Amino acid sequence: MSENHTAGRRWPAWSSEWTLLIAVVVAVIATTAIDSNHSYLYRPLESLRDIARNTALLGIFALGAAVVIIAGGIDLSLGSMIAFSGMVCATTMLALAPEAMMASKPVGGWVVAAGIGMSMLAGLAVGTLHAWLVTSIRLPPFIATLATLVGLRSLARALCESTTAAITPSKSAQIYVADPFFKMLRDNVWISVAVFALLAIVTWVLLTRTILGRHLHALGGNEDAARLAGIRTENVKWFAYCFSAVTAALAGIFYVANESVAAPVNQGRGHELNAIAAAVVGGCSLAGGVGTVPGTVLGTIFLRVVIDAVSKVIKTGADVYEGLIVGVVVVIAVTFGQLGQRAGSRRLLPGPLGLAAIPVLAIFCGGTFGMTSGTTTGVAAGVVALGLLVGLRAWESRSAQAG
Amino acid sequence: MAEPVISMQGITKRFPGVVALDNVSLDVLPGELLAICGENGAGKSTLMKILSGVYQPDAGSMTLAGETVRFANTRAAEEAGIAIIHQELALVDDLPVLANVFLGRERRNRFGLLDERSMARETARLLETLECGVSPSVRTGSLRVGDQQLIEIAKALSLDARILVMDEPTSALTESESARLERVIASLLARGTTILYISHKMEEVFRLADRITVLRDGQTVRTLTKEETSPREITSLMVGRDIDDASAMPARSPAEPVLEVKGLHLPWPGHVRGYRLDDVSLQLRRGEVLGVAGLMGAGRTELLETIFGASDPTWRGEIRLRGQSVRFAHPSEACAAGIAMVTEDRKRLGLFPDFDVAANVSLSSLERARRGGLVSRKAEEELVAEPIRATGVKTPGPHAAITGLSGGNQQKCIIGRWLLTQPEVLLLDDPTRGIDVGAKAELYALIDRLCREGLGVILTSSELPELLTLSDRVIVLAEGRLTAELSRSEATEQRIMEAATGG
Repeated sequence: MSENHTAGRRWPAWSSEWTLLIAVVVAVIATTAIDSNHSYLYRPLESLRDIARNTALLGIFALGAAVVIIAGGIDLSLGSMIAFSGMVCATTMLALAPEAMMASKPVGGWVVAAGIGMSMLAGLAVGTLHAWLVTSIRLPPFIATLATLVGLRSLARALCESTTAAITPSKSAQIYVADPFFKMLRDNVWISVAVFALLAIVTWVLLTRTILGRHLHALGGNEDAARLAGIRTENVKWFAYCFSAVTAALAGIFYVANESVAAPVNQGRGHELNAIAAAVVGGCSLAGGVGTVPGTVLGTIFLRVVIDAVSKVIKTGADVYEGLIVGVVVVIAVTFGQLGQRAGSRRLLPGPLGLAAIPVLAIFCGGTFGMTSGTTTGVAAGVVALGLLVGLRAWESRSAQAG
Repeated sequence: MAEPVISMQGITKRFPGVVALDNVSLDVLPGELLAICGENGAGKSTLMKILSGVYQPDAGSMTLAGETVRFANTRAAEEAGIAIIHQELALVDDLPVLANVFLGRERRNRFGLLDERSMARETARLLETLECGVSPSVRTGSLRVGDQQLIEIAKALSLDARILVMDEPTSALTESESARLERVIASLLARGTTILYISHKMEEVFRLADRITVLRDGQTVRTLTKEETSPREITSLMVGRDIDDASAMPARSPAEPVLEVKGLHLPWPGHVRGYRLDDVSLQLRRGEVLGVAGLMGAGRTELLETIFGASDPTWRGEIRLRGQSVRFAHPSEACAAGIAMVTEDRKRLGLFPDFDVAANVSLSSLERARRGGLVSRKAEEELVAEPIRATGVKTPGPHAAITGLSGGNQQKCIIGRWLLTQPEVLLLDDPTRGIDVGAKAELYALIDRLCREGLGVILTSSELPELLTLSDRVIVLAEGRLTAELSRSEATEQRIMEAATGG
């Protein structure tokens, strides 16, 4: 793996793909063992389907997030783009077949196609807007997509209210979608998995085997040099942001299908961060230029497996902890990624800040365990964490002096 | 003669691939202004950075008022009374003037809060002694460069610096600002401050300095008092190398003109000079190397970037390629028209560190490695094999990491990248910077060969011998203007240096 150069670039000697694969396997085995219901053993298909659905849904736009990150940008707007895309699809269908939509009847194939087509166009439009803001107005990508993160969701809600007010008897904050095509998307998990797999393969070929893919890496690796090498960097950026927005638009269709409703208030809320987290866990560097499709796919799988594992272990209210899990996984994955790249050259707990971090980490650890597994476990976990951290600090101080 | 206040003995400083200072010794007398002169890269700035604690020497010792000192950082040097005013000013633009003067040494009142009033008072007092009328509370970034420089000096004075190092302080100043700075310098000297002053400008040096030290290639050449020397002697000491190390290549026979530039003017909004380039004309023939000489900031890079379509597009004048008037809005257009440019800063503007050797070379011609719409690894290897061979890149293989190659080999890869685009005009911006002597000779041979194959080459270099070795003709820029055009037989280091400093 370390000698793999098919991407036309140097792979790090320490390959995050292999580590992630091992981590996924370890997480699955550990959950099988720890989970008191042993659902992975007794209901393997059901468990697999849950993970597959969640992975496919997140993975589709995590690929979009990864392409923008590789090109040296960031797209914070994906979660709102999901809501906006779903809304565009639903309002298009409502406008074209109001009676069928209101009666929860099939709307007809061409109406569905029009709805989905409009969603994809909305993705292209938002991507173009991002590219314009970033290249012509010269906004930092963070600011440009922060603006659309906030703005698109609001726009989706306004679109919903004004359309429903005009067409249906009363104004509404959501539009129900009951067409059999969407039911089919919901009930056949393999469709979302197949779409994800196909998109992953296309993206992988794009990034590793096309000129555009090479230019995306070049843009992220060294933008000034890319321009001076004769690359039309603004066109490459346009592609990256459009690709990202269109993947989110595609995911938006699946969100509508899964929930049988286009609900812009909460659909996809905060999911942009999960997608960025998946890309980062998969080895994409926020500095740009570095990242792979296999890494992003494995990062997504790992993230969803860990979330699923925790929900299996603690049984109730697992969604409460989803954010916490994503946060911890990102920190740990990136920390170990960096340690792997420059082994031993850095201390985890240096100086006064390192000292201050010890009680903070111990309290977080103990608190989390306390809330999920009872007070006794919590206190024990906190004490163990404190002991380990103090030990690490002492060991690091000693080896720093020795060095 | 008084005891020296600073004595540097045998200072040596190496950077990867280059010896910046080689056993340099320097004595500074109390209360004098010692000017330090030398070409670009002679080691002036490095020496001053060692004196002020920015760098630590690899060898040698330093005494301050007779005591041996060794500064771990600038703070240590400041505490010992040495302050430096860098060529690139080190102020925080968004903070008010008083905050910059007291940055890192903020005064506090008895409640532990910032004592703005006392800092403002002190800043105002210091600025007054410097004939600087700005208010201590204005945003530093809103000031002119000349005023910003005085704020750096005010900062140094607030440190009670007895020794002040100034690195080309007048390079960005207007005449009146320079005159004010000279008055400030005179009053500082009258107060007993010792000043080390780096400058290219002979006139200025001879007006201000008591003694002049000339550095060349990281070594001290001589230290002379102003009375016993002349600007001409200093210039020749700055360049005076053995003439045979600039031995020229056998004459080439240039063909018809391929590129012409007429009356090029590149504006510089917001700068006192108002332009980066003004009324620059040149002609380049096929099979010819045209050298562009000039000191830092003279406009060499801007000239090449304008031709290449990489600078801001507001330039006026005319550029003709093969007789056709052209105006490139983007490097890709220049590239398609047959112009290639190897940029000055290899790391920042040329290399892709995440790419391997092959991907770095093929980047601008990837469409030639396409098979059935996709980039073929094998076709890419075949494509880059020829330029890698032609430029003599030493690499373990096409898929080795580019960051593992030496600077010279990286530069050959970038030249190889451009050769693949089959250019007719090759712009080389200081191509041998940071490259060791052996690799330089190889690059010279490569450039000479490409030229004999019919390429027109424009070469800039901060090293005069390099220009003299390679060029058929040399044009000299000074502060954005063309000050000389010299044929091969007319061009000497002396004449180029005079034209470059005459602006």
